Amino acid sequence: MSSFLTSRNVADVLGGITNGVIYSLVALSLVLVWRSTRILNFAQGAMAMIATYVGFAVLAPTTSYWVSMAVAIVAGLLIGGLTERVIVRGLYGKPEINPVVAMVGFLLVLESVAAAIWSTGSRGLPTPFSMVDWQLNHKPVALSPFALYEIVTAVVVMTVIAGLFQFTKLGLRLRAAALAPEVSRLLGVRVGRMLTLGWMLSSAVGAVTAVLVASNYFTGLTPTAMDGVFAFGFIAAAIGGLDSPVGALLSGIALGVILQFVGDYLNSNAIILVALGMLVVSLMVRPNGVFTRSAQRRV
Amino acid sequence: MRGVRSNQRIVAGTALGVAAVLASILGVGTARAATAFSIASVAFVAGATLLASREFRHNHPVAARAAISVLAVDVSLVLTAFFSATVDDNLAIGAAMSIVLLGLSFLTGSSGQISLGNGAFMGVGAFTVAVWANHHPTTPIAVVLVLAVVAGALVGLLLGLPATRLRGPYLAGMTLAFAVAFGAVLNLFGTWTGGDSGLQLPAAVNAPAWVLHFFKPGTSSLTTNSVWLVDITIVTAGIALFFMANLFASRTGRAMRLVRDNDVAAELVGISLPRARVIAFIVSAAYAALGGGLWTLINNAVTPSTYGFALSVTILSLVVIGGIGTIPGALIGGLIYAFAANVIAWFTAHTGLNPQGNVASQLNGIIFGGLLVLTILFAPTGIAGFVRRRWAAWRAR
Repeated sequence: MSSFLTSRNVADVLGGITNGVIYSLVALSLVLVWRSTRILNFAQGAMAMIATYVGFAVLAPTTSYWVSMAVAIVAGLLIGGLTERVIVRGLYGKPEINPVVAMVGFLLVLESVAAAIWSTGSRGLPTPFSMVDWQLNHKPVALSPFALYEIVTAVVVMTVIAGLFQFTKLGLRLRAAALAPEVSRLLGVRVGRMLTLGWMLSSAVGAVTAVLVASNYFTGLTPTAMDGVFAFGFIAAAIGGLDSPVGALLSGIALGVILQFVGDYLNSNAIILVALGMLVVSLMVRPNGVFTRSAQRRV
Repeated sequence: MRGVRSNQRIVAGTALGVAAVLASILGVGTARAATAFSIASVAFVAGATLLASREFRHNHPVAARAAISVLAVDVSLVLTAFFSATVDDNLAIGAAMSIVLLGLSFLTGSSGQISLGNGAFMGVGAFTVAVWANHHPTTPIAVVLVLAVVAGALVGLLLGLPATRLRGPYLAGMTLAFAVAFGAVLNLFGTWTGGDSGLQLPAAVNAPAWVLHFFKPGTSSLTTNSVWLVDITIVTAGIALFFMANLFASRTGRAMRLVRDNDVAAELVGISLPRARVIAFIVSAAYAALGGGLWTLINNAVTPSTYGFALSVTILSLVVIGGIGTIPGALIGGLIYAFAANVIAWFTAHTGLNPQGNVASQLNGIIFGGLLVLTILFAPTGIAGFVRRRWAAWRAR
C-alpha cells in the first residue's frame, strides 16, 4: 500500500491535482464573467496579479499572510467592479472582437504598470505551510502541506461560489440577470448591478488564485506570473465549455493531471504543446465545449 | 475634364524638366547615382500623373494599385539614401512590421477574426530564415524569404483548421495559447533553433555585385549593407502591399467582408465560411512570417525572446491604433512602430525620468496598452478611419 502511494503514477496524479485546481479556479472565474457578459476576460490573470501585489506589497512585510490575503481579495473585488464599470460597460453589444482587443490592451497596461511600480523582479511571498512533501516509510508522497492547502482553498472557494449561486436570493438574481436580462429587468432585478457583481466575484476568485500561485516558492510574484496559468486556465475553460462552471472545474483538474503525466514521461517543453493540441482537437470536435449541451446559434 | 487633363500634362512636363536639370547637376560628380535618381524622379512623375487621372484609376484598378505601390517604394528608396543609418534601420524594422500588420488587418478587418498569435507567426518566419541560412548559406535571400512565407502559411493552415468552427473569443484564446506555446516549441527543437540564445546568420546579407557595380562611383552610402537591407525590406513591403490591395478588392476580399458583417447572409449567397476563414488565417500567417524573416535579415540574428506573447499584443495594438481593416492603417502602424522607441526616449529625456528606471522601461507598454483600450472604446476605426471620416466631412461641406 505504502509503495503504491509513493509510486510514480500516484505522484503524478497528486501533483496534477494540485496544479489542476489552480487551472480550475482560473477557468471558473472566466466562466463567471462569460456567462453573464459574453466577454472573455483576457486581463483576468493580470487583474488578479495586481490584487495580489496590493495585498502583499502595500502592507508591511510583517503583516500576517492571512491579513494580506484578505486585503488581496478585497482589492480583487474592487478591481473587478471598477473594470466592469469603466471599461467593460462600453463594450456591450459591440462586435465580438472589440472586447477581446480592449481586454488585451488592459492586460498590457496592468502588467506594465505593475512592472513600473514593483519592478519585473520576482517577489517571494511568505509560504504559510511547508512545501516539503510528507514522508511515508522514508519515501516522499507527492503531497506537501502547502499542496493540501492549495487544494482545500480551491474547494472552499468553489463551494462558496456554488452555494452563493444555488442557494441564495442574490445567486438567483445573478443567474437570472445572466440568462434572461430583459425578463429579469422587468421583474425588478437591477441587471447592471448584477453584472458588476459578477465581475467582482470573478475577480475575487482570481485574486485567491493569484495568491496561491504567488505563494508557491518556485514561482513567486512577478508582473507576468499569471500569463502561463491564464493560458492553461483558458484551455481548461474552453475544453469544458465557457458556459459550464462544472465543466470548467472538471476539465481544469483533468488537464492538470494529464499535463503532469506528459511532463513526467515526455518532456517539460511538450506540456504546453500537448495542452494546445488538446484544445485544438476538442474545439474541432465540440466547439462549444465538452460539458455544454450544444445550442443552435441564434441568428 | 479636358482642362484637368491638360493641366496634368503641364505638371508632368514641368516635373520632367526639373528631373532632367537635377540629373544633369548631380551628373557632374556622380554620374551613375544621378542617373538612378533621375530614373526615380521620372518614374515618380509618370506614376503621379497616371494616378491623378480618375479615368485611369477607374478603368485600370490593378495598374493603379501597382502604380501606388511603385510610387511608395520609389519615394522611400530615394529617401533612404539621405537618412542617417539609424533612421534607415528604424524604417526597415517598421516596413517589415507593416507587412505583418497588413496580414493581421486583412484577417481582422476582412473576415472579422482576431489573432493573438501573429508574433509567433513572425517567429516562424524569422527562425525559418535563420535555420535555413545556417544550413545553406549560399541560397539567395529571395528564395529564403519565400521559404519563410511557405513555412508561415503551413503553420497558419494547421492552426486555421480549427478556426473554421470557432468564433471571436475562442479563436483569440487559441491563438494566445499558440503564442505562449511558441517558446516551448523552439526549445523542443533546440538543436536546430539554438535554444534560448537563438541563432546568428552565418554572414551578413550583401548587395549583389551588379548593384555595387552600378553605384560604386556614386554616393558611397548606397553601397553599405544597412541601406541595401533597408531597400530590400521596402521593396518587399511594396510587393506585399500590392498583393494585399488586390486581395482586399478581389472577389475573395469582398466575400470575406460579407463574412465579417453577416456570416449567415454570406453562407446564403454561397460563400463557404470555413474556406474563407482558413484563407484569411493562412494569408495573415504568411504575411507575418515574411515580416519576421525580414527582421532576421535586418538584425543578422534571431532570439526567441523577441517573439513572445508581448510582440503579438504589440502587433494587435498597432493594427487597432492605425486603423483596423485598412491598408493605410497598417502603414501608419508600421511608421508608429518604427519611431515609437525614439519618441519614448525623447519623452523620457524631457521629463527627467531615469532612463534605466522601472517607469521608463515600462512606458512603451503603458502607452500602447492605454492607447489600445482608448482607441477601441472611443475611436474603433483608428487613425485611418478618423482621417477618412474627417476627409469625407470636409469634402461634403
